[in-house]
Amino acid sequence: MATRAPRRRRNLAPFAFVAPFLLLFLLAFALPIGYAVHQSVMDVEYTGALGLGGSHTVFVALDNYSDALSDHAFLRSIGRVLLFAAVQVPVMVALSAGLALLLDSASARGVRFFRAAFFLPYGVPGVIASILWGFLYVPGVSPLVDGMRHLGVSVDLLGGNTVLWSIANIVTWEFAGYNVLVLVAQLRTIPAELYEAARIDGASAWATVRYVKLPLLRPALILTTVFTIIGTLQLFAEPLVLKPVSSSIDSAYTPNLSAYNEAFTNDNYHLAAAEAVLLALAAFVLSFGFLRLINKRGGDA
Amino acid sequence: MSRTTRLRRSRGALAVTLATASLLISACGGSSGSKDPAVQAPVKPGQKVDLRFWSWVPGVDKAVDKWNATHPDIHVKLEKIPAGSSGGYAKMRAALKSGNAPDLAQVEYQEIPSFLLENGLVNLSQYGADKDRSKFVDWQWQQGVFGSAVYAIPQASGPMGLFYRSDLYKKWGIEPPATWDEFAQAAQKIHAADPKAYISTFPAGNSAWFTALAWQAGAKWFGVNGDTWSVNIDSPQTLKVAAFWDDLRSKKVIKTEPDFANGWYKDLQTGAITSWVSAQWGDAIISGNAPQTTGKWAVAPMPQWTKGSNVSANWGGSSTAVLKGAKHIPEALKFAEWLNTDPASVDLLLQGGYGWPASADGYKGSSLDKPSPFFGGQKYNEVFAQADKSIDTSWKWIPTIDATYQHLNDGFQAALAGKGTFVSAVQQAQKQTVEDLKRKGLKVSTGK
Repeated sequence: MATRAPRRRRNLAPFAFVAPFLLLFLLAFALPIGYAVHQSVMDVEYTGALGLGGSHTVFVALDNYSDALSDHAFLRSIGRVLLFAAVQVPVMVALSAGLALLLDSASARGVRFFRAAFFLPYGVPGVIASILWGFLYVPGVSPLVDGMRHLGVSVDLLGGNTVLWSIANIVTWEFAGYNVLVLVAQLRTIPAELYEAARIDGASAWATVRYVKLPLLRPALILTTVFTIIGTLQLFAEPLVLKPVSSSIDSAYTPNLSAYNEAFTNDNYHLAAAEAVLLALAAFVLSFGFLRLINKRGGDA
Repeated sequence: MSRTTRLRRSRGALAVTLATASLLISACGGSSGSKDPAVQAPVKPGQKVDLRFWSWVPGVDKAVDKWNATHPDIHVKLEKIPAGSSGGYAKMRAALKSGNAPDLAQVEYQEIPSFLLENGLVNLSQYGADKDRSKFVDWQWQQGVFGSAVYAIPQASGPMGLFYRSDLYKKWGIEPPATWDEFAQAAQKIHAADPKAYISTFPAGNSAWFTALAWQAGAKWFGVNGDTWSVNIDSPQTLKVAAFWDDLRSKKVIKTEPDFANGWYKDLQTGAITSWVSAQWGDAIISGNAPQTTGKWAVAPMPQWTKGSNVSANWGGSSTAVLKGAKHIPEALKFAEWLNTDPASVDLLLQGGYGWPASADGYKGSSLDKPSPFFGGQKYNEVFAQADKSIDTSWKWIPTIDATYQHLNDGFQAALAGKGTFVSAVQQAQKQTVEDLKRKGLKVSTGK
């Protein structure tokens, strides 16, 4: 008996340290997700033509999921963000890495100014950024579109085949600077001796980038890629804000927009919950899938 | 004038436009809601009652100020929200769900059934609302009546007519079209006279407008028999309207840009859009957004499908409803009734441009009842007074109308992108609407 009491105290200690995190995790993470999952397997049934006979919530198992997955508009929206991600993620990562390496190069002048300038758009909320760019896309109002027309180039930046890339442009403008900052921070941690060693070995600037900087930048590149994948799937504010000025953005343009409309326009909270859970699953699978892939290819990096 | 300055927007202010673009799309509405009588907080004599009121209608702030100045016992706190279609209803539904709804809110006629389905409105008959019936235009009063219960106090409607640029029409020798056939001919003539000019746009993202055109053509989309809804969106009348615009679209004699958007406002200013089939409240949209075109506009009756007939429709229209959770229902009802019938209040709302008054005889002698300098000195509201009498008042709404609008929007937009036609969009919306109602567990039949 005498030996058991101290042991129990020792076993409880870790829990005491983890408790604040666990509590926050439960409240801010597990609980909302659990609630969304719960909502997604329920539905409301009404009595009478206007529901004046009352309503009650019933368990419908996976009906909402099958409804969501048999909705062509929702499936198209998933296809659309996947296409968007396939283009956006490489462009974003390559652009960010390029800019970060330029900023880091020894000969770069005005590094502080450019770092701030790249980062500035990130400080602009997505909605404001979309309004701003929306202004530059609307024909008849936009100096950009009008100017191009004077040069003989007629483009419809809000048309069916172009608007997705107009949105990609906004997203890149907004987040590239943030990713640059993450990459620059990683580059700063590379010890100067490595550069010195490379120089002594006669490495060119390009070889230094290829064999010193990029391999050591890998963790930050993986991080920004995962951020970009998740951010891309969550595409919402940009299409929502551009919707009133473009005939090509429908109510289910992205999965997030679809869930939003189901919940707040059509009052189908339960279907919206199912769509949200599906989206979360897709983000989970893609980002962890990417990490698995990376780790398999080069576990030592 | 105050209306003009209030609504004036600079062409560059996209932010403002995007945020308020549809502020006036349906500039008439109202809502009411409250708990059961049993949970009402009793009001002691001399106690001051506070009411919260959510609305987006222009001019309503002045009317509320007037109420507060003249009714010291009942204080109304106005909270401006985005117009319904731009998020106002989302906010209301979320507030209802969380049990934090305001006492009163702006609810457009077509939304009343949706709010009823959510159990969001208070039955005002229990509080003696029926005695107010004679103060309102009957069909508008009926928009808030379901079974024998009154759920909303009507505020305003949107009888329709044709706004057109009389100067440009005259220059090109075109008469305002009296029929839709003439409208199609005028569309070709206008585009031929000036390749940059069009008779109007087809706003693919604004199906409420298309719905009004179908309404005028004699379509009756929805009906209810017992507890079974009937859905007839793809009736011959609607398909005729859709085919009409398909034809104009394929001839490229109309624009297809969104309405209430920056490009469209610019086109109103520059004469690239020379006419607009719209509701009476469109006057404030035009004068507010194209103030430099003063004196160049005029109003004619809506084009007719049959020459010599006189049929109009309603676009927009809204009520003041008491929401579930209201703490002081009798006081809220009193305010809703005052807001929409008191001559001083109605006049303030009219000056704000809230639409066509729902209060009986609200037009006669009001600020609408005189010649307008903006419309070339025309007493243009005579046209709408006539239109108001020529609306098929048996039109009904379903509780999933927002979803129907979205199906139509999505279908029309797809047609513009080359996938399908307006006609096929209507046929698709019919199927989807039936599904929407069934999804809610409601009974549906198709066909008459």
